[in-house]
Order: sequence, then structure tokens, then C-alpha cells
Amino acid sequence: MAEENVTRQPEQPAPAAPRPQGGPGPGGARPGGPPKRGKRSFVRKKKVCRFCVEKVDFIDYKKAEVLSPFIQERGKILPRRMTGTCARHQRWLTVAIKRAQNIALLPFAAEL
Amino acid sequence: MEERQYDLIFICRPDTPEPDIDKIISTLEHAAGEKGAKIEKTEKWGRKRMAYRVHKLREGVYVYMDLRSSHGEVVKELERRLKVSDPVIKYLTVRVDEELKRQAKLKRHRERRAARRPRKTAPGQGAPSGAAGGGERAAAQS
Repeated sequence: MAEENVTRQPEQPAPAAPRPQGGPGPGGARPGGPPKRGKRSFVRKKKVCRFCVEKVDFIDYKKAEVLSPFIQERGKILPRRMTGTCARHQRWLTVAIKRAQNIALLPFAAEL
Repeated sequence: MEERQYDLIFICRPDTPEPDIDKIISTLEHAAGEKGAKIEKTEKWGRKRMAYRVHKLREGVYVYMDLRSSHGEVVKELERRLKVSDPVIKYLTVRVDEELKRQAKLKRHRERRAARRPRKTAPGQGAPSGAAGGGERAAAQS
């Protein structure tokens, strides 16, 4: 039993060992990136969830003016990656927007 | 059973005279009373522009109601009445008590955390003020 364990243990690190080496590989490719660094000089500002900042516990579907910044011109719900809303608030937000749409406070699709 | 809370919103045609709307509201209140529910408050939001056309209408008279009931039968009855009544072009009932409960819970959590926090932040606040004091001293020296 003990022998098996001993034999297995070296085996596991063995395949694992090349991986760390492989890891630096792409990392090594990245140092090839430094010339690109000039191009990516702009720093993306970290988006913060608007509802978390204001400490909102409940998103009211009746307040269309609160929800309207989170829909596109054509009426689509903006994704999280655009608005920076956190997962939890986005979940509440989609529900609120869909309710507001049902009672004609927000459009399903903008009319032409 | 625990009491449930519903939001009931309906939209009337914009050309509905005011007394007719009041009549709808009173019939709904009566129907709710019969079923053992209570309408806590009624708000007339008035004429509002709708986000899209409903029955070829661009505007509607919004009425909001806050309904308390211990069972969902009332909602069925009220929605049936709204469906039947001619001036009503759209209605929506939403159960909100669970969300309100969640809100209350989160608020409680936040308050508790806020009550606990000052002790932690106090030393943190002390340090920057000391640093600022040092900065002032430096400025005074220069």
C-alpha cells in the first residue's frame, strides 16, 4: 500500500512538473508582448455596480427612470459587461425591467 | 397562512372619464373585500405615455393598487374583472412580499454590519489623519 502511494506520488508531480514549465512558456510569449505594451497604454477604468454604490436592496419595477439607463435604444437589456452591474443586481434588474415592459413602462422594442 | 402582498396596476383608455375609473376602483375594492382581501392604498398615476402602443393607443391612465391577501384566489377574481371591463386595456399583478422580505433582511444585515464596523475603521481613519498632519508639518517647514 505504502509502496503504491510512494510510486503514485512521484508520478503525479512528474506530469505536473512540465506544466509549470509550460506555464512560463506562454508567460514567456508575453514578454514578447512588451512591444505591444505601448499600444495598450490606456487603462480601462474599473466599472462599479451602480446599485452597490447606492446600496440598493430592492430594484423597483415601477420606477422606469431608474431602469431606463440599463436598456439599449432599441429596448434590449444591456449586458453586465457594458454597465458593470454586479451579478446579483443584474439578476434583480432583469426581472424589474421585464415587469416594467409588461405594463408598458418600458418598451419591448423601440418603434420606428 | 401568511399574508401576501401584491401590486396591482391597470391601465385605462385615456378617454375614460374620471368617474368611470373611480367606479372600477370601487368595484375592485368591493370584490377584494368579499374575498377577504384588503386594498391598502390606491394611487392614481394619471395619464401617462406608454412605452409602446396598446390597442392602437399611445397613452393610458395608470392606476396602482397595493393589495394584501392571504390567498391567491383574490387575484384571479380581480384579474377576471379587469379583463371583462371595457375601459381597461392592460393590467399586471405582481407578488412583492417575498422581495420586500428579502429587502428587509438585507437592510437588517447592513445595519448590523454598520454597527460593527466603526470599531474597525476608527484606527484606519486615525492613521491617514496622522499622515495628513505630517504633511502639514512638512508644508510648514518648507
